Amino acid sequence: MVSPAIALAFLPMILTLIIRYRYYFVLFYRAVLVRWVQDCLTGISREERAFQYILTHATPGNPDSILDTFDYWCSKVEFISNIGPKKGLILDRLLKETCPLTVLELGTHCGYSAVRIARSLPVGARLYSVEMDQRNAQVAEKIIRLAGFDDDTVELIVQPSDEVIPRLREDYGVERLDFVFMDHWKRCYLPDLQLLEGSGLLGEGSIILADNVIFPGAPNFLRHARRSGLYELRVHRATLEYIRGIRDGMAELVFLGLK
Amino acid sequence: MPRQRLIASESDVSIEVNDDAINHEAEVDEKTEEEPKRKKVTKKRKNRKNQGTKKLQEEDDGDGMSSMKRTSRNVKNEKGTERKETKDEDEEQNEKKERKNRKLKNEKKKETKKVETTSEEESSEEEEEEKEEEGVDNDEGDEGILGSLSPEELEKLKEAVDEKKKLIITLRAKPWPMRKKLLTLRESQRFVEKYEGALGKGKGRKLYAYKVMMMKKWMKFQRDFENFKTACIPWEMKIKEIESHFGSSVASYFIFLRWMYGINMILFGLTFGLVMVPEALMGKPYGSLPRKTVPRVEQASAMDFAVLWDFGGYAKYSVLFYGYYNNQRAIGWLKFRMPLSYFLVGVGTVAYSYMVVIRTMARNANEQGGGDDTSFNFSWKIFTSWDYLIGNPETADNKFASITTSFKEAIVEEQESRKDDNIHLTRFLRVLANFLVMCCLAGSGYLIYFVVRRSQKFALEGLENYGWWERNEVNMVMSLLGMFCPMLFDVISTLENYHPRIALQWQLGRIFALFLGNLYTFIIALMDAINLKRAEEEVVKMNMTIWMASLYNGSLPENTTASMIAVDPADVPRGPCWETMVGQEFVRLIISDTMTTYIMLLTGDFLRAVLVRFLNHCWCWDLEYGFPSYSEFDVSGNVLGLIFNQGMIWMGAFYAPCLPALNVLRLHVSMYLQCWAVMCCNVPQERVFKASGSNNFYMAMLLVILFLSTLPAIYTIVTIPPSFDCGPFSGKNRMFDVIQETLETDFPAWFGKVFSYASNPGLVLPFILVMVLAIYYLQSTSKTYKQANIELKKKLQTQNEENKKKNKLAAQKAADDLKEAKNTASQLLSTQTNNNASDPGENSHSNIMTSSVKTLSRLNEDGRENNTQASMDATHIHAHHTLLEEHQTPTPLTHDPPLHGVIYPVTHDNQSQQRRGAHIFRDADFHVDAHPGMLTSVRQN
Repeated sequence: MVSPAIALAFLPMILTLIIRYRYYFVLFYRAVLVRWVQDCLTGISREERAFQYILTHATPGNPDSILDTFDYWCSKVEFISNIGPKKGLILDRLLKETCPLTVLELGTHCGYSAVRIARSLPVGARLYSVEMDQRNAQVAEKIIRLAGFDDDTVELIVQPSDEVIPRLREDYGVERLDFVFMDHWKRCYLPDLQLLEGSGLLGEGSIILADNVIFPGAPNFLRHARRSGLYELRVHRATLEYIRGIRDGMAELVFLGLK
Repeated sequence: MPRQRLIASESDVSIEVNDDAINHEAEVDEKTEEEPKRKKVTKKRKNRKNQGTKKLQEEDDGDGMSSMKRTSRNVKNEKGTERKETKDEDEEQNEKKERKNRKLKNEKKKETKKVETTSEEESSEEEEEEKEEEGVDNDEGDEGILGSLSPEELEKLKEAVDEKKKLIITLRAKPWPMRKKLLTLRESQRFVEKYEGALGKGKGRKLYAYKVMMMKKWMKFQRDFENFKTACIPWEMKIKEIESHFGSSVASYFIFLRWMYGINMILFGLTFGLVMVPEALMGKPYGSLPRKTVPRVEQASAMDFAVLWDFGGYAKYSVLFYGYYNNQRAIGWLKFRMPLSYFLVGVGTVAYSYMVVIRTMARNANEQGGGDDTSFNFSWKIFTSWDYLIGNPETADNKFASITTSFKEAIVEEQESRKDDNIHLTRFLRVLANFLVMCCLAGSGYLIYFVVRRSQKFALEGLENYGWWERNEVNMVMSLLGMFCPMLFDVISTLENYHPRIALQWQLGRIFALFLGNLYTFIIALMDAINLKRAEEEVVKMNMTIWMASLYNGSLPENTTASMIAVDPADVPRGPCWETMVGQEFVRLIISDTMTTYIMLLTGDFLRAVLVRFLNHCWCWDLEYGFPSYSEFDVSGNVLGLIFNQGMIWMGAFYAPCLPALNVLRLHVSMYLQCWAVMCCNVPQERVFKASGSNNFYMAMLLVILFLSTLPAIYTIVTIPPSFDCGPFSGKNRMFDVIQETLETDFPAWFGKVFSYASNPGLVLPFILVMVLAIYYLQSTSKTYKQANIELKKKLQTQNEENKKKNKLAAQKAADDLKEAKNTASQLLSTQTNNNASDPGENSHSNIMTSSVKTLSRLNEDGRENNTQASMDATHIHAHHTLLEEHQTPTPLTHDPPLHGVIYPVTHDNQSQQRRGAHIFRDADFHVDAHPGMLTSVRQN
């Protein structure tokens, strides 16, 4: 039987852990516990709840309003791991600077980033958005259409990314990708990047932007980007969306072309 | 071929020999054709003289070789003829040389010389015909090579060698790329190596070569010896490796550990050699006395591992603890004064520790030097922040990042020092943080006190009824608190928003307070325990007399003479012996502390590293960069742990002579374990900071701890009477009575008298007074020296600033002059173009000439006092030269002899000055390099 005094001696450690990793606890609470409780209470999925909220609170046809409402919902009501407003600014800036004509988005989720990208695209540009999950894709479709983007601007592809990428050229007639945004499973970053390299869709100056490379993190992806010599790598440091105190970053890869 | 040979090193000789042999064969064929040309020929080699000049060198080589071969065959009879032949050859050579141009000749000379050196080497290799060969060599050398060299050329060669040597020395300061430096270094070294030996003549030359060789051997030996010396320093290589990976701050911990190990070795030597070994060898054996025997009650379990692990049973009744020692005044045939030795060793270890710590502190203080380092914050950061001992790319990256962040922070600090926003909030937060820390300290102190009291209760009721947890509660709680509270402090300190360095100091101070509080709580509780034991002792004393009486009454019927009743010493009742209890407590504390440290090392570092490393492949987030990641090496915590561990040793060593031995063991193991753990499961810190400044800080802490830990030990020795039936001082009123006893019995009477006089307060007080005065005097003198140092520093600074100002002014002036000169030049150009239209050439030239003459005369007047002046002169000249160039390129056809006449001598005069001035000019962004080119252009004209 462990005496209470020894148990008390562990108190400082527990306090330390709680204080040091408080943001992670908050994240756990908001992303897991609240979601679970709400799922049980409402009976519909988190994404659909978000869509309902947006439908009732945002102005249809206005992407800015939809994004703002989304941000509000994610920071105040529940938590969905979108790109978020702060990192979104970096995305906007990159899009405005490069004016890509063909954009590929891996991981649509609820369509937040799709709306965000489509908003900053030049006229005549096209966004292919890939989502694996059927239900998420339905929500995303609704949100994208609600924001006023038609099928010509944003094309939603409901398929796993590793199946889509090799067929982009044949099925969708894509010749070259100017901009690729990755925000799906962190584990798929590296294989998808290698698929993209192999498909020959990347040209010199193509930009690949990968979110969440520090938390949850994609070390293999970063290592490959650094070592392969095909890319010019920049990591934009920021914090995790909607939660302060957890460091995160986006990796910006500029394809230098095959030699 | 010759060039290659020149560069090839001496080690290539064997290969060259082969080459020569091949050449030889080839040339044999050629020779047959050329035979008719030569009359005196008896040998093949002569013929080769007639070949092309380029081949000459090879032939010489061949000569050397073939001659040697011949000598190895049958030299003596042929020697005379050979000599003749060589003379002939030399004549021929000279004739040819005269015909050749200078360059080729030099080349050949070098060649021949090289041949000589190589042949010499071979001669040393072939031991059999050494003498003959050398004789031949000398002959050939004197006549064939040196004979062919005029003394002037020899001088030149000497000069060249000297120049190369100078180059080797000054190479480091040259502003060249590294590759070029290495190349030149290698080349010039080879050059020196080749020709150095050839400079002397005949015997002198050999002696010289011998000397050079011996010098090299000696240097190599010295280098090897240095290597050997470093290899002899324990763990030096390990520490260097860690240093290269983690920077100097982590390495400083290990150096500190090693230093501690050394001190503990000496403490261990003292206690082991003067206390434990004599007692074990010469003292009464185990079982002869009650104090040296395990009591009957405990005997059944005395050999159990659990008991031994707690240092009870047989371990308790052994030389490891105070209670085992006998109060017999002299033991063994050596008449070893055991109690006196025990006391003196106890005092001596503490005195030695004081001495060492203070000496080290003084040395460190010397190294630091006085002066304020804060005045040039940014300069310090730029020029001194790199840690040159780092050899690991990752650490270098970290260091780079930390330097940049420190720059950013410094800039931000600089900005924030001007505006202070919401000082009340920061103040409030700091007060709050301190309050929290105080709460923590109080809580931990109370917890320890509570636990110690509880353990006393357990002890009174008998430890056998309780489990392992209860028995080790105190140590566990102390170790755990010592481990986790610093982490909590670290978290709390983020509230305060201090600069990291200040935060580190606060952190150290808090941990120090925590450890100290814990230690003192422990000691106070121990004091209570001592008092309890002493009360128990009184009871035992009473019982003892009763027991004795009963013993005598019961078993002593009529025979009064015998009185020797055989009572087993295990059955004799005995006192509780508080000294052994204290010693045991400290030993247990040390053991549990060590165990917790190691276990934490294994779980906190190693297990974590293993998990992170191998679970990272199948985890949903990045473990290496994200949440658990690898641990960093906590320098401050480790150093403090070490210091407090040492404090405990100092405190407990008097009552448990085994403590230094245990500590040596612990330090030894932790050296290896921590080295391994650092290298295999820690990552370099994100903020790599330099350790040089903190060394004395640690030392000061060690001194404080030493003082604080000797305090209770001395208090117990002086105030509490020793136990009546255990330990070397049993039966005495106080422990230090042993000194008096020795003085009375072992020394002559007059010594005791002198001692009693000397210890008279009337003498002691004045002595102390004198000492205080001396200390005061020394302190004040050192203060004045420091002041003087600072003054000198200031003076130097102001001087530097003045010089800088002067230089700036001079440069400004020079620039103005240059501008002026340029203006005049443009004017001249315009006039020249006008003149060109009418009368090309002469007029403008005369203009330029006059202007240049003016400047040159001014230059001469100016004198050459200092650099700046020279630089100014240089500008003038340069300005005019550029002007000339500008002027002459459009009109290349016009020749102007008088102009040359003017310019030549002056430029020669001032070349050195220009060279000196050039440095300044590069800084001032003038273009000087055009100058030599201009000179040549003038010459060509």
